[in-house]
Amino acid sequence: MCQLVRSASIREPTTKNKSKSNDSHLFVRKSLLRFTILGLAWVIAFCSRLFAVIRFESIIHEFDPWFNYRATHYMVKHGFYNFLNWFDERAWYPLGRIVGGTVYPGLMITSGSIHYILQLLNISVHIRDVCVFLAPVFSGLTAIATYLLTKELWNEGAGLFAACFISIVPGYISRSVAGSYDNEGIAIFALMYTYYLWVKAVKTGTVFWATLCALSYFYMVSAWGGYVFIINLIPLHVFFLLLMGRYSTRIHIAYTVFFILGLLLSMQIPFVGFQPVRTSEHMASAGVFLLINAYAVLKYFQSVMTKQEFKYFFLTATVSVACVVFLGVVGLTYAGYIAPWSGRFYSLWDTGYARIHIPIIASVSEHQPTTWFSFFFDLHLLVPTFPIGLFYCIKQVNDERVFIALYAITASYFAGVMVRLMLTLAPVVCVLSAIAFSECFYFTLQSDDKPKGSKKSIQGGDDEDRSDQEESDDSSTEKKSSRNLYDKAGKIRKIKPDVNKDNQGIGSNIRAFVWFGLFAMLVLFVVHCTWVTANAYSSPSIVLSSYGSDGSRVILDDFREAYYWLSQNTDDNARVMSWWDYGYQIAGMANRTTLVDNNTWNNSHIALVGKAMASNESAAYSIMRSLDVDYVLVIFGGVIGYSGDDINKFLWMVRIAEGEHPKDIRESDYFTEKGEFRVDSGGSPTLLNCLMYKLSYYRFGDLQIDYRAPAGFDRTRNAEIGNKDIKLEHLEEAYTTEHWLVRIYRVKEPSNRPRIRYPDRKLKPKNIFSSKKTSRKRKGTIKDRPTVIKGKKNTAS
Amino acid sequence: MSSNKLITVIFLICLSAYVSCARKKSENTLSLGERVGQLTELSLRKPVIRLNGDKFRQYIGAKSLPRNYSFVVMLTALSPHRQCTVCRLAMEEYSIVANSWRYSPLFSNKLFFGMVDFDEGSDVFQLLGIGSAPVFLYFSEKGKLKSPEVMEIERKGYAAETIGKWVSELSQLPIRVIRPPNYSTTLAIMALMMIVASLLYIKRNNLDFLYNRNSWAMISLFIVFVMTSGQMWNHIRGPPLMTRNRQGTGMTYIHNSSGAQFVIETYIIILLNVAICAGMILLTEAMKGKADHRKRKISAMIGLGSTLIFFSLLLSIFRSKAHGYPYSFLFK
Repeated sequence: MCQLVRSASIREPTTKNKSKSNDSHLFVRKSLLRFTILGLAWVIAFCSRLFAVIRFESIIHEFDPWFNYRATHYMVKHGFYNFLNWFDERAWYPLGRIVGGTVYPGLMITSGSIHYILQLLNISVHIRDVCVFLAPVFSGLTAIATYLLTKELWNEGAGLFAACFISIVPGYISRSVAGSYDNEGIAIFALMYTYYLWVKAVKTGTVFWATLCALSYFYMVSAWGGYVFIINLIPLHVFFLLLMGRYSTRIHIAYTVFFILGLLLSMQIPFVGFQPVRTSEHMASAGVFLLINAYAVLKYFQSVMTKQEFKYFFLTATVSVACVVFLGVVGLTYAGYIAPWSGRFYSLWDTGYARIHIPIIASVSEHQPTTWFSFFFDLHLLVPTFPIGLFYCIKQVNDERVFIALYAITASYFAGVMVRLMLTLAPVVCVLSAIAFSECFYFTLQSDDKPKGSKKSIQGGDDEDRSDQEESDDSSTEKKSSRNLYDKAGKIRKIKPDVNKDNQGIGSNIRAFVWFGLFAMLVLFVVHCTWVTANAYSSPSIVLSSYGSDGSRVILDDFREAYYWLSQNTDDNARVMSWWDYGYQIAGMANRTTLVDNNTWNNSHIALVGKAMASNESAAYSIMRSLDVDYVLVIFGGVIGYSGDDINKFLWMVRIAEGEHPKDIRESDYFTEKGEFRVDSGGSPTLLNCLMYKLSYYRFGDLQIDYRAPAGFDRTRNAEIGNKDIKLEHLEEAYTTEHWLVRIYRVKEPSNRPRIRYPDRKLKPKNIFSSKKTSRKRKGTIKDRPTVIKGKKNTAS
Repeated sequence: MSSNKLITVIFLICLSAYVSCARKKSENTLSLGERVGQLTELSLRKPVIRLNGDKFRQYIGAKSLPRNYSFVVMLTALSPHRQCTVCRLAMEEYSIVANSWRYSPLFSNKLFFGMVDFDEGSDVFQLLGIGSAPVFLYFSEKGKLKSPEVMEIERKGYAAETIGKWVSELSQLPIRVIRPPNYSTTLAIMALMMIVASLLYIKRNNLDFLYNRNSWAMISLFIVFVMTSGQMWNHIRGPPLMTRNRQGTGMTYIHNSSGAQFVIETYIIILLNVAICAGMILLTEAMKGKADHRKRKISAMIGLGSTLIFFSLLLSIFRSKAHGYPYSFLFK
């Protein structure tokens, strides 16, 4: 709960400092206050993400971060150019993977350069620690970028609120806890900063800000595939401004500079390459670029032509340009120069598409639609309050508020379709909620005797006819006065006797009620965020913990135990076969060659591994021999009741294998007659004899964990296993970890003298089985030897 | 899939006499070439060939056995008094598959699609020993009448794609299921556009309403509320409106677990969100308004009250779904 105390202390100085405020020292106080609040927001953003480090240790989490860490490590060790040319022969054996051309390098470059700078300053930090703490540090930066954006959109008070919200909102924490070293950790900062610079560019209309915006966009492209969101949202903004008749040269300059520079810069990333000019996802930006230039040209002609001429010119030009563009796009698509939408993007629009056409996308849990529960879980108080900010933004619209409104609407749509995109919704929700709360607090905390200046500032936005430049100047001067009042949070109580006399005011009692009610809701938000972060988003998932009967904590470190065993006891070139979930971890921790990993680019290779796991042992052996497998690694949770093990994932292996090898693997074979998936004796015989089952349950039939349960009782599936007498022919057990969580098997070499079945033999001895009992053909005996009958004297002698 | 709606047809009358008599009639067998010719003609006319008992025996029965075509047969009961809704749905899907095959460029006389209605060929049901409908059977070129391949519709469902995949796996013929495009959404969008366009045309002299920020704000808030209450989840997953609770005494409106929701639950959430939002807007407006201070006081109290009460209601619903969640506000 340390976080709660801290975040409460954010507002504490507000009350203390302001009560003494003096007009001459106002500026100094204000900046001090601003820096203090932002600094505290950064500290909180950093600290609340450290649960995993404090409870466990400073390690990289989950799956994908392990690859990012390995790539960063490689880059730091071998240099940037070697990293770009890195061909990783330890993944996707025997195919390999060109890593340099298939990653977004921004993450590795960021942490690599931080490491480099620290080394220059003679601060020796291991690259792993840089990687672990990168996301928390960047979330502090995100808070500042959000502050800047909100300040441009509304005022400084809202900005400070937004910074505090974004630093603790669980929707963002879920992807940026310490140790989750993934692209999203730095990408959200880049996203918010690009948006800030874009708003700034629109407001000022200078090449300087537009160029900065393009550079920030370049950083975003290098960091995350989600840059597509920016390159569609900014054109959408420009398009809406055109529709609303808000065209101005400021927008023209900002967009053309941003588009051209952004396009060229984004093509410098090897993984992106020519996509910005060839795929449909980027076509909207090019279309808007054409449109705004056409609009500018028309504006120009309008100023030099007569009205009649212009009308004629306008019609012909519009129709001909529209035809040329349409035909051009259709022609290029038909000729194959422009690729149609990729499946994942298509599934965002047509929500039924993925379910029918791409089961592999539909199967990933991150790609599921979002329930209201997840919205509330990740955003809590902000879900019902951010529409208020949206409402005020639309009511008092100007160029940049159109942008935030579009962002809010599109992001809420996308977050509804895919849970994963909650991440892009979280920042805008913070911005708009901050506006709502700031608006409400601003009027609540101001004293009744000075209502004039404040009203003017709020209605400043209403006044449309004024030019925007003037408006922004105006509001900035008014903001100062509003700051003055806004900052007087603590004044209410002192003024109380005066206010009561004032009949025009609303009364300090009500103000105190309102203040208290809103504050209570914010406190609830803070404790909710802390609770969610601590309980849901701070598990490294490679180290498990459970609580013993006496309440003590038990750490289950089986994964690292197994990977360490692999790295110490196997040949350096040994090939390890496992399901793709564990590919990155094996490569990262054990440094051994894997067949498939979490970069699921080759479905048929994955299907081959799935087929091996789903076949019986001898069929699997031939597959494993053809893939040069030395070790097989399975995850088995039956002893400790770990539900994410391979048997529970097994049906996906079967399904993926069936997709590629429908003749050999059939999903229905793994179900019982009634269509159940059972591991006990009622289960289907195919399941009870497949490789995965055998490897998971080998020797498990002899193990009695609990005296109340029979031997071989699987605690994950609550069943006594059906096949207790498992004999392995082609594999042997190499290592099983303490809690049986990871089991490693060695694939035996084929025996030196293979046994060939009789019908397969080329040389067939006539009688392969000769009984030694028949006296006639017994070798090495003397013919016609007198037979001796016991109990009788030999009469012949 | 509503497998529980599969009607089970029980044979009460022994039709053995009828069957034996029918068997005699079909003695006059046609040659293979004639049969294929007839079938091709039939299937060109209508992709799903209607079979009765006689035809069934002639084309698929034991006598037809040296044959060079395979046959997919759907056993069903389509007449209205059988009240088999599943059969009708399955029939639609089945005819999509048959049509896709009929109009595919690879169409050949290697595979035919047929159907037997219970009221036309109940002897076929008896012959195969099948007492329920709908059933999909596949008779391969050499397949015996008694042991056809049966599709497991209980598990797989009867979507056209699954049927197509099942048939092409068995027959080794590529069947690409092409659904006739569904124009209803396109038509709806067109109609909406027409309405909007005509409204604009009627009001062409006074387009001020386009600049009305309140209406735009309402539209945006509506979209946002719809999305944040999980309507997209409802659209994709299709949950029930509500269910009966375990005791059967009343209805459950809120789903017990955190991973799912009912339709009515999301409507409740929308209402709560709107109430909180409206309460806080009312509060803010009251705080900054210029109106009579008494009016402002009242609306501020209403605004604050609705914000706090509805927010704590929302929190308590959340708490009931997240087991072990420790915090609550005003209500348990």
